[in-house]
Amino acid sequence: MIMKHRSYFVEDIPRRKFLELSLKGGVALAATPSLLRGLLAGQAPSKPQLALEDLNRVIRHALSKGGEFGEVYVEHRISRSILLEEGKFKSAVFGISQGAGVRVISGDKTGYAYTDEITQEKLIRAAEVASFVARGAKAVKPVDIKAEDRPSYITVKVPLQTVADEKRLEIMKRAHDAALAYDSRIKMASIDYYDEVRGRSIANSEGLYLVDELPLIFFIVQTLGVGNNTSHMGRERLSRHSGVEIFDELKPEDAARNCARESIVMLEAKDAPAGKMDVVMQNGWGGVLVHEAVGHPLEGDNIARQTGVFVGKLGKKVASEKFTMVDDGTLPCFRGTTDYDDEGTQMKRNVLIQDGVLVKFMTDVLSAKQLNMERTGNGRRESFRNIPIVRMTNTFIDRGKDKPAEILSSTKSGIYVQSLSGGSVNPTTGVFNFTCREAYLIEDGKKTTPVKGATLIGNCLDVILGIDAVGDDLDFGPGICGKGQAAEVAAGQPTVRIRGINVGGSRAR
Amino acid sequence: MDYKGLAEQLVSKCLKKGADAAEVYIENGRNLSIEVRKGEVETVEEAASYGAGFRVFVKGKMAFASSNDLGQKALEDAIGRAIEFAKITTPDPNNVLPDDKGMSEIGGLYDSQIVKIPMEQKIQLAKKLEQLAMKDPRITKSDGARYGEGEGEVVIANSNGLAKSYQSSACSLGVSVVAEKGDQKSSGGEFCGARSYIDLKPAEQVAEKAARDAYEMLDPRPVKTQKASVIFHADVGYALLGGILGAVNGERVLQGASFLGQKLGQKIGSELVTLIDDGTLDKGVASEPFDGEGVSTQKRIIVDKGVLKGFMYNTIVAKRAGVRSTGNASRGGFTSLPGIGPHQFYMVAGQAKPEEIIKATKIGLLVKEVTGYGINPVNGNFSGGASGFWIEDGKIAFPAKGLTIAGTADEMLNGIEMVADDLDLSRARTTPTFRIKLLQIGGE
Repeated sequence: MIMKHRSYFVEDIPRRKFLELSLKGGVALAATPSLLRGLLAGQAPSKPQLALEDLNRVIRHALSKGGEFGEVYVEHRISRSILLEEGKFKSAVFGISQGAGVRVISGDKTGYAYTDEITQEKLIRAAEVASFVARGAKAVKPVDIKAEDRPSYITVKVPLQTVADEKRLEIMKRAHDAALAYDSRIKMASIDYYDEVRGRSIANSEGLYLVDELPLIFFIVQTLGVGNNTSHMGRERLSRHSGVEIFDELKPEDAARNCARESIVMLEAKDAPAGKMDVVMQNGWGGVLVHEAVGHPLEGDNIARQTGVFVGKLGKKVASEKFTMVDDGTLPCFRGTTDYDDEGTQMKRNVLIQDGVLVKFMTDVLSAKQLNMERTGNGRRESFRNIPIVRMTNTFIDRGKDKPAEILSSTKSGIYVQSLSGGSVNPTTGVFNFTCREAYLIEDGKKTTPVKGATLIGNCLDVILGIDAVGDDLDFGPGICGKGQAAEVAAGQPTVRIRGINVGGSRAR
Repeated sequence: MDYKGLAEQLVSKCLKKGADAAEVYIENGRNLSIEVRKGEVETVEEAASYGAGFRVFVKGKMAFASSNDLGQKALEDAIGRAIEFAKITTPDPNNVLPDDKGMSEIGGLYDSQIVKIPMEQKIQLAKKLEQLAMKDPRITKSDGARYGEGEGEVVIANSNGLAKSYQSSACSLGVSVVAEKGDQKSSGGEFCGARSYIDLKPAEQVAEKAARDAYEMLDPRPVKTQKASVIFHADVGYALLGGILGAVNGERVLQGASFLGQKLGQKIGSELVTLIDDGTLDKGVASEPFDGEGVSTQKRIIVDKGVLKGFMYNTIVAKRAGVRSTGNASRGGFTSLPGIGPHQFYMVAGQAKPEEIIKATKIGLLVKEVTGYGINPVNGNFSGGASGFWIEDGKIAFPAKGLTIAGTADEMLNGIEMVADDLDLSRARTTPTFRIKLLQIGGE
């Protein structure tokens, strides 16, 4: 669907769930069948296997009219989603999906077509459609594909396929009961359990052929705290590319209690002040602020388009020297990790801003070619129904040397942000906004009264220049990034202080 | 292919395999999207796809499975998975399916001509749109022009004998551009959507709006933190609606997670606030003859002159609340269960001209862009980023960016004191321009 502006967002729960909660209006054609919106989340049965020679034939056909890059992407996905809410296992949803997409790049042009049916005939037809953009262009001769092995950053001890549903229910129930037991003012708990196994086969005209299978778990706890005259819905998430052993380390009860704690604390929230003030952001998911504000503008597609806010700034000082920002798709089992991106480029640790100097943009195959830069492993796609585009993986402000307690105690007044919900950025202007999930006033260097969910807004260039303290306590949180397509990401940061952010409070200071 | 026949067969198969009740939801369709930039085609995407979702009930327990492989074996497998999965859920006497055999009559949802228009003509339309949007010398860069289309069929059958289908289509056209002046960058964009190609807004109009949105925000000036009148332009008034929709969701109301849950029949806004949910408008971008589980759609008043008149329900939540479904079962596609959602949700137009509202404003902010989550549906709190124009003495004084606005739903809805006549029903969630008496604005 065409949106009015290009705007990229990130949030801590799935868009679908988010829309169900109807937190925000949209301009999409809301009631058209989902097929019209092209929003079908991938869901699929037995693993389709195509012979190497079949794939070669499709790639050759894709480049038969011209073009320099041809690719076939085959995907299958099995997912389970279970909802425990108001003490009931309300629903259980099983999804099976499969499909394949064929892509042709010719100069700056991309042609793409996909099919739900993975047959030679349908793939040749998709190749025919995708080749439309390359008519009359110079053609390269594709290299025959050859299977290769890659290092893996994802380890699985207890594969999802071997886990009985009862185990999933037990984990959910533990979280549910812990949340309700936390405080009598917790009136409802909602536990969303999701897991999937996504199989990928990627083959291209450069001779690449890769096959893998990625497990993913996403566990969301929401609790409703009800006070005398207000209510607050708290939220906590756990997510990894891993087997069910994730819950041995990240206890569902802990997530539930932390969520319930937020619900109760925020019942006492007072109006936040409005205007520019200093903000201390606690370590962890707060890293979404730089994911949005700085990460999206560093994506190579808007640099190649010459529209991004960082165009022409490579090699220049853009941030305070305390600021180093990294996108690293190799962090073991993290939500944003894969062994290689959805175009087959090896994952790596990419330092984007080093000690305040812009040193690298993130790229996919197309933008790397357009910018004449290396492929950084950031070409990702939501499913076979989407063209790969430049996306972040695990993005964070690298650890610094300041002590978190000193960062707070040296801040006279302002806002202490313990966690954020999510936000968005306009990558052209660099203007971003974030909504606080749990925040407090800072008075005389101390965290004091909780304040209602205020918006933080600013311009990315001002913010990274305004970061004057970076802690040594780097931590991460999982989320969902939206850029026309959804992508699993992690965002992280140590405790940081940002001078002079505009806080959208509802009272004058 | 006769998908309705297939759906009915599959319902029988579900029952034969052990379901006490079942629903089959099938979608099939095709889509095309074209993006051009700098006068050249940048991407062309085309595909046809389909899939089926099975909702089954076994002894009052509900589960669901979907497949995009419509082969016999895959479908049987999916049904088996759903029935198996139903063993783990909790039985609930409210787990029922609708038996509504009717359908709302809506004209103009499907245009069979779209597919017959040659691809080249659609590419030319996008190119022309981009060119027109770049015409103004203040516009320096294009972020691309896009044309999209899709058409599809939705089929629902269930074990209460309900079996219905409809076809629909959609086209959209949009463009994004950048205006630059020195170090300043300002982006603007506009899009339109319609059920037919011929009902798309003229490219000139779309282009002009996108360009104006970009260049008129150049040279912004700071605004001090203060309380003042805030005018929501018709382009951004929808930012108020999302939180209200969350709060009139019947399930959230039952859960006590809605700031409007206890307010039925009470005044929640000024007399100028009338909110409608309409699934029946001819050619409507959010119209459908039946909702995501087959219940006929309606046109309903949700808020009438400031008084809250009703909530939204699907069949299961309605049964739990002891009311009838309001035809608001929403579906994210064949891969998911029906939730609760609106059709076209809008604020009814008023009498004032937008320029009269500006003229009547001594000091205030005319908001052209709102960012953030809107009103929190649980507690009614609102905080967002805003940009637009500062108004002094009834005139636009200068553009203003990087501001915040905040308040509560109560303050906002009761504070609405002027409503314009410029409602644009080509959007799914929409309001006319309106003015709120006083809101906290955060700035310098």
